[in-house]
Amino acid sequence: MLRYILQRFLYMIPMMVLISIICFAVIKLQPGDFGSQYFNNPRVSPEMVQQLRERLGLNDPAYIQYLKWAKGIVTRGDFGYSFAYKRPVSDLIWERMGWTVVVATLTIVFSWLVAIPIGIYSATHKYSIMDYLLTFLGFIGLSIPNFFLALVLMYAVLKAGGTSVGGLFSQNFIETPWSWAKFVDMLNHLWIPVISIGLSGTAGLLRQMRGNLLDVLGAQYVVTARAKGLKESIVIYKHAVRNAINPLISIFGMQLPEVISGTIISAIVLNLPTIGPFFYDALITQDQYLVMTFLMLSAFMMLIGNLLADIMLAWADPRIRYQ
Amino acid sequence: MQKRLLVVVLSLVALLALAPAALAGLPANPKVENENLFEGTARPGGELILGLTSGSPKSFNYYGVIDSSAYTIMENILSPLVDVNPVTQELEPGLAEKWDFSADGKTVTFFLRKGVKWSDGKPFTADDVLFTMQNAVMNPNAEGNEVDRFTIGGKKVEWVKVNANTVKAILPASYGAFLRVVSHALMLPRHKLADKAEGTNPALPPGSFNKAWTTNTNPREIVGTGPFMLEQYIVDQKVILKKNPNFWKVDAKRRQLPYVNKLVYLIVQNEQVAMAKFQAGEIDRLKIGGRDYPTIKKEELKGAPYMVLKGTPVNPTPSPTHLAFNFDIKDEALREAFRNLKFREAMAYAIDRDRIIDQVYNTLAIPSGMPVLPSNKAFFNPEIEKYRINFDLKKAAALLDEIGVKDINNDGVRELPNGNPLEFTLTAAVDLQDHTDIATLLKDNLEKIGVKVNLQLVKFSLAFDKALSGEFEAMLLAFGNQPDPQLRKAIWQPGRPLYYWHLSTMKGKEQIPVFEEMYDWEKKIYEDFEKGEVTMSPATRKAYYDDWQLENARNLPVIFITKGMDVVAVQKSVGNVFLQKNGVITGLSNWTVYKK
Repeated sequence: MLRYILQRFLYMIPMMVLISIICFAVIKLQPGDFGSQYFNNPRVSPEMVQQLRERLGLNDPAYIQYLKWAKGIVTRGDFGYSFAYKRPVSDLIWERMGWTVVVATLTIVFSWLVAIPIGIYSATHKYSIMDYLLTFLGFIGLSIPNFFLALVLMYAVLKAGGTSVGGLFSQNFIETPWSWAKFVDMLNHLWIPVISIGLSGTAGLLRQMRGNLLDVLGAQYVVTARAKGLKESIVIYKHAVRNAINPLISIFGMQLPEVISGTIISAIVLNLPTIGPFFYDALITQDQYLVMTFLMLSAFMMLIGNLLADIMLAWADPRIRYQ
Repeated sequence: MQKRLLVVVLSLVALLALAPAALAGLPANPKVENENLFEGTARPGGELILGLTSGSPKSFNYYGVIDSSAYTIMENILSPLVDVNPVTQELEPGLAEKWDFSADGKTVTFFLRKGVKWSDGKPFTADDVLFTMQNAVMNPNAEGNEVDRFTIGGKKVEWVKVNANTVKAILPASYGAFLRVVSHALMLPRHKLADKAEGTNPALPPGSFNKAWTTNTNPREIVGTGPFMLEQYIVDQKVILKKNPNFWKVDAKRRQLPYVNKLVYLIVQNEQVAMAKFQAGEIDRLKIGGRDYPTIKKEELKGAPYMVLKGTPVNPTPSPTHLAFNFDIKDEALREAFRNLKFREAMAYAIDRDRIIDQVYNTLAIPSGMPVLPSNKAFFNPEIEKYRINFDLKKAAALLDEIGVKDINNDGVRELPNGNPLEFTLTAAVDLQDHTDIATLLKDNLEKIGVKVNLQLVKFSLAFDKALSGEFEAMLLAFGNQPDPQLRKAIWQPGRPLYYWHLSTMKGKEQIPVFEEMYDWEKKIYEDFEKGEVTMSPATRKAYYDDWQLENARNLPVIFITKGMDVVAVQKSVGNVFLQKNGVITGLSNWTVYKK
C-alpha cells in the first residue's frame, strides 16, 4: 500500500508540469497583459505602461517567463510575486485560506448530510409522494444558479427585517476576539452561503445515491439477505448502502478542489472574504503568477483528492484491496 | 505670600491654557478649517463607517500602486502641501502655511507650517518634502508616480531645501497650474521610508520603492500627517483607521479635528450588498448610482433613518457629454454647414436637456454648459449663462431656414444648398447607456425638423479612436472636468490631438498648431491657453480661462449636453454632511464629520 501511494505521488510530478504548461499557455493566449488595464486610465501614460511591462518582465517571450517562474519554484520554493499586491503570491493565498476552507468545508458537509439520507429515503420509498417531492426539490436546487439563490435569500432576509446579509460578520464583530456573541453572529451570516452553495451540490449527490441504492436493492445478495430473515434496517444499512456508497467516494475525491475554487461567483455576490473574489480579480487584471499558483493549487488538490478517494475506496471495499 | 500664590495660580492658568494644545499634538499655528464645511455643533467621538466598493486595497503605498482603494484610504492618512477646498475647489494653505513666487515665476518657495508632527510624533520637515518629491512623486519607477505633472517642457521641476522649514521648487519655465499639481502630491515620511526607496538606499534595484508599505506592513510603520492613521487591516473585510492625535487642523472653536475617533472602511465590492448594508444601518455614508436612487428616496420619504443628497457635481467624473461636428469632413456641403455657427446653434436648440435629464438620468444630472463646472469657484465664468441655448425646435428650424437649408422637394428632409439631403451619421458609445439614450432622443428631435440622422452605435473605445482619427461626421462623447483647465489643455486648445472636431488645426505627428486653419476665436482660445500656462497669478489666469469659456459658449466648437450629479446616501446620525447653498455636497471629507 505504501509503495502504491509513493508511486502515485511520483506520477503527480510530470502531471503537474504538464498542467502548469497548459495553464500558462492559456493565460498567455488571452489578449493583453497586466499592463493593458492601465491604457484607459488617465493617470497613466503609455510610456509608463511600457516601463511597467519591462520591469515586470512581461516583454520577455512567454516561454522565458514560464521557465523563470518554474525555476523559482524548484530552486527556492518561490511561486512568484503578485504584480498588483507586490507581495509573494503564496503569502496572499495563505492569508485568505482560512475562511475559504471553513466556508467550503461547511457547504460540502451540508450537501452530504442532506443528500445521503434523502437519497436513501427516496430509494427505499421509491415512487412515493415524498420521493417525488424530495426529488423535485433536489432538481430545483440543481437548476437554480447558486449565486441567484444567494441573492434571493438575502432579499428575503432584508424584507423580513433582518440585517445579517453579506460577509461573515456584522461590521462591529469583524475585528473583535472570539466570543459567544461573535459565534452566534457568524452563524447568522453563514447559513445563507452554506445553503445557497450547498444546495446545488445536493441534488446531484441525491440522485446518485438514489440510483445506486436502487441498483443494489435489486441485487441477488439483497434478496438473499432478506430471505435469510435479516431485519430490514440491517439489510439496507449494512449491506445495500455500504455497497451503494462506493461510487460516491470517487465523487468526494473530485470535490476536494472545490474547497478553494467552488464558490467564486457566490462569494462575490455574498461579499465573502474567501479566495474566490480575489482569484477573480487576479484573472481580470491578468496578475499571471497569482493565477498560475492558484490553478496549480487547484490541480494539486484534484490529484490529491483522487488519491484519497482511491485509498478510501480500498478501505471501504475489501474487494478492491485484494486485487 | 500672596504674591507667591498669585504666581503659582498664574503659572497654573498658563499651563492649563497651553496644555490642550501641547497634549493634542497641535502645531503652534494650526489651520483653521474653512467654515463652509460645518453646519451644526459637533460632538467629538464615535466612529464613522464607510463602504469601500472598489475592493480590497492592493497596497498602502500611495505612489507604489495604481489602485483606487489604496488612494481612498491613504488620502485619509497623508496630506499635501497645498489644500483644495472641497466645496469651491480653490487652493488653500496645507502643510505649507504660505508660498511665494519669484518675479519670473520660476521659483516657488514653500514655507512649511512649523511644529507639524507625523502621527508617530517625529517632526515634519523640509527633508520629508524633498524625499517625497524625489523618490516617490517624481520617481519614474514608482508605479503611481506623477512625474508627468512635474515635467514642464520636457524638463523636470527641481526641489531644493532652504532650511528645515522652507523648500524651493525651481521650475524650468513658469507654469500656472503648478500649485494645483502640488495639491495632488501627498507627503510621505522620510524616516520610515528612506531605507525602502531606491533613491535613498543605493543597494536596492529600481522599482523597490513599490514594495514598501504593502498590505502586510505593520500598521505602526505607516505614518502620515493626515487626519487619520492606520490601526488594523483585516484582509478582504475591513480597514480600521483611528484619529491622528497630531493632525494640524482645528475648527472655528479651535477644537482639534477630526471629530470621530475611528474611521472604518467596510470592504463591500458588490453594490447590492453595500446598499443592503447601508439600509441595515451598518454603513454610515455611501455614494450611490442613479439606479438605486428611486428606491432609497422612497424609503427616505417613508421615514427611514437616512437621507439622500443630490449634489451639484464637483468631480471630474462622470464625464459630461457633448456633441461635436467634424469641421474637416470630406463632403463639402456638409462641411460648410458644420462650420457655420448658425447650423451648430440650430443643433443646440434641438437638444432637449430637460427630457434627457428626466428620462436618461432619473433627474440626476445638470444641464452642462462648459468643461468647467459651475461649482468650480476658481475658474468658472458665470457669464456663459447668457449664451446658453435652451430647447426650442421652432428656433432650430428657423435658423436652418436662414442659412438656406430648406426642404425644397417636400420629402420631409431638408436639402443642403447643393441639393443633397441634410443627412449625417451620429456616432455614440453603445456600451454607455446614457450616451446611447441621448443619441436616440437627439435623433428623434432632429428628424422632427427635417434633419436625417443615422445612428452609429459602437463600443466607447472604438468611438474614441474614430474621434481621434477624424473618421466621423457627428460624435457624442464625454471628457472629464478637471479643476484646472491647464490640465485639460490637450483637449480644449486648438491644434492639439484631442481637439478632434477640428483636427486640421494641428499638423501631423509633430503636433504643430496650424494657425491658417484656425478661426479668429480659435486663435484667441489658443492664446488664452498659452498665456494661462505660464502665468502664475491666479486672478490673471482666471481672466484668460474666462475668455476661453466665453469664446466657447459663443462659438460652440462642441455643444455640451449634461453632467451627472453626485448622489450620496447618509444616515441621519451623521453630522456635517449637508448641501451647501450652491448645491455642493459637503462632508465627504472625513475629518469634519461627526456622529450625533
